[in-house]
Amino acid sequence: MNIGKHKDLIAVLIAVLWIACIVTGTTGHFVTGMVLGVPLMLLHMLLGVAKNGIVSKKFFFYPLLIWAVLWILSFILSGYFAASFGGEMPTFTVLGLHPSFAPTIFLYWIGGQLTLNLGHYLYQDEWLSEKDWKEFCTKVRNLPDGEVN
Amino acid sequence: MPHSTVIIIAIFCALMIAVSFAIGLWAKKKATTAQAYFGGTAMFGPLAVGLSSMAGIASAFALVGVPGIIYTSGNAMTFWMLSGAAFAMSYIVLGKKVRAMAEIAPISSLGDICDVRFNNNHVIKALMSVIICLGCVGYLAAQISAGSSLIAQLIDIPPIVAGFLIFGLLTVYTALSGEVGGLLSQAFQGFIMVLAGLVLIIAFFVVTGGFGSVLEAVSAVPEVTGANGVTKTLGAGLLDAWGTMPGGISLTWMLIPILGCVGQPQCLTRMYAVKDPRDLPKAGLVTAVTHTIVGFLAVVAAYAALWLVATGTIDPLVAGDQAIYAFADYLGIWAQVLVYAAVLAAALSSASMFLTSSSTLISKDLTAALGIKIAPEKQIRVSRAFMFILGAVAIVVSIYSSEMVALLGTFGWGTLVSGTFPVFVMGLLWERCNEKGVLCGLLVSLVFNILPLATSFTFPSALPGYFITSALAIAVTVIVSLLTPKQTLSPKLDAVMKL
Repeated sequence: MNIGKHKDLIAVLIAVLWIACIVTGTTGHFVTGMVLGVPLMLLHMLLGVAKNGIVSKKFFFYPLLIWAVLWILSFILSGYFAASFGGEMPTFTVLGLHPSFAPTIFLYWIGGQLTLNLGHYLYQDEWLSEKDWKEFCTKVRNLPDGEVN
Repeated sequence: MPHSTVIIIAIFCALMIAVSFAIGLWAKKKATTAQAYFGGTAMFGPLAVGLSSMAGIASAFALVGVPGIIYTSGNAMTFWMLSGAAFAMSYIVLGKKVRAMAEIAPISSLGDICDVRFNNNHVIKALMSVIICLGCVGYLAAQISAGSSLIAQLIDIPPIVAGFLIFGLLTVYTALSGEVGGLLSQAFQGFIMVLAGLVLIIAFFVVTGGFGSVLEAVSAVPEVTGANGVTKTLGAGLLDAWGTMPGGISLTWMLIPILGCVGQPQCLTRMYAVKDPRDLPKAGLVTAVTHTIVGFLAVVAAYAALWLVATGTIDPLVAGDQAIYAFADYLGIWAQVLVYAAVLAAALSSASMFLTSSSTLISKDLTAALGIKIAPEKQIRVSRAFMFILGAVAIVVSIYSSEMVALLGTFGWGTLVSGTFPVFVMGLLWERCNEKGVLCGLLVSLVFNILPLATSFTFPSALPGYFITSALAIAVTVIVSLLTPKQTLSPKLDAVMKL
C-alpha cells in the first residue's frame, strides 16, 4: 500500500481531524469526536509504519485495522448503552460491569493491548526488520552530511 | 494510624530511597560522555526502557489524583488510566525514526533532534525548549509538593525537611549520574509500583467481590451522608462509561493521553535510549503489562473506596484524593506500606525524569539556542551544577509557594503535546513540514498556553485549553508548511524519514 504520494493529503487530514474533534467535543457530539479520533491516530501510525512510503498490508490489517474497528465499536457501544440506561441501574451487566463501561474494558483497554502492543511485537519485521536497519545504518554511513535549504 | 505502622512505612520508604540512591551512584561510572549523561543514548535494553517509561508516565497524580477523580466523578478518567496501548502507538509512530536520528548525528537531547531536523534553527529550538520546559517544571513542582507533604504528614516533620531529605537526595544522584542513573532508578521505582498494584488488585476482588458488587452497592443508594457530615452522591450513572463529567472530557481524556503519549519527553527520550530499535516492540510489551497493572490499580482503588462508602463501611471521603489511602487503611498495614511506597516511587520516578529533562533543556538546549557557547568537555559539569541549583530551587518553591505550584500545575501533559507535536511528530513523519510551519505552530502553542494565565482570555469551549491549543498548533504547522516553499532534506535526514 503506497502512501508516499499522499503524505500531503494525510497531513491535511490530520489537521482537519484535530479541528473536527474540537468542534464535535465543543458542540456536545463527543462520541462522534471519539470515533473521529480513531482515524486521526490511524493516520499517524500509517505515516510511522511506512517504509519508503509503503505500508505493509499485513501490518495494516492486523494490528492497525482490527484495532481501529475495535475502538470505534467500543465508543459507539458505550454511547448507546450509556444513553439507553440514562443513569439508572442497568437491566444486565457484563461480568459485573455497566454495559456502557464494559466496551471500555474489553475493546478499548484489552482490545488495544491485543492489537497494537501484541501486533507490533508479532509483526515487528513489517515495521522494521533486521535487514532494514542494517541497510539504513550502512547507507547513512556512506552518505554525505548536508543541510536543508 | 498506629505509631508502629508509621515506623514500618517510613523504614520501607527510606529503603526505597536508599536503593534508588545506590543505583544512581553506581550508574555514575557509566555516564561519561554527553550522549550517555544527557540521553543514555543507545545504552539500554527493553526491560529498563519499558519499566522506566511506565514509571516516568505514571506520576504521583496517577496513583492519588486519578482514583480521586474516579471516586468523585466516575469513569471518564478510566480512558486516561487504561491507555496501555499508547506506548505501542508511540513506538509505531515515531520509534524507529527517533532512534535512527541517533545514527546520523550525536543525539543526547530533544534539542539535538530539533537541530538536525530543522537546520539548526535557533528560534525553533528556543521556543520548543521554553514550551517543553514549562510542562516539565510544572510536573516537577507537582511531584515534589505531593511527595514532601505525604511524608511530612506521615512522620510529622516540616515539609521542607521532608522535601530536602527525599528530593535533595534525588537531585544528588540524578545530577551525578544524569539520564543513566535516572532511567535505571525509574525502572526500580516502576517495579515497586507494579508490586503494589498486583497486591491491591487481588485485594480489591477478594474484599469487594468484584465490579458487580460495586455497581450494585453504588446503584442502590443515590446519596450517603456520613457521621463526619460529608455527603457523597452515588447512583449507577457514576459507573457508566462517561461518569458525571461533561462528555467532552471523555473525548479529551481518551485522545490526549493516547495520541499525546508520543509527545511526552519520558516517551520520546526513551526511543533513543534503546540500544537496538528492534527492542522497542519488546519495550512496548513491558510497558503495556506494567502500565496495565498500575493503571488498573488506580481504577480499582477508586471502585473500592466507592464500595466502602456505599456499603456504609467508611464515611464519605472529605476529599477524593483520599480514595487510595482509604482503601489501603481498610486493608491493613502491608497494603498501607505498599501504597505509600508506590506513591513515593511514582513521585520520585517522575521527578527525576522531569529534573533531567528540564535541566538539559535549559542548560544545554536553550543556552545553545540563545547563542551561549559551552565547550563540550564542560557541558556535563555545567549541567550538573545547574541540576543541583534547579533541584534546590524547585524544592523550596514547591513547598513554600502553593500559588506557584498551582500555576505551574496548569502546564503539564497537554502543554507538552502542543510543544512537541509540531517539531517531532509532524517534523519526522512529513517531509513537507518546514521551518516556517513549525515556527508558527510553536508560536501558537506558546501564546495559547500563556494567554489564559496572563489575561482573562478563555476559549469558547468547555474542552480543556490544552486540547484546543494542541489542535491549533498542529493545524497551523500543516497549513503554513503547505503555503510556504518546500525545503530539501539532507540525504541522511531523507534516509531517516524514509525508514
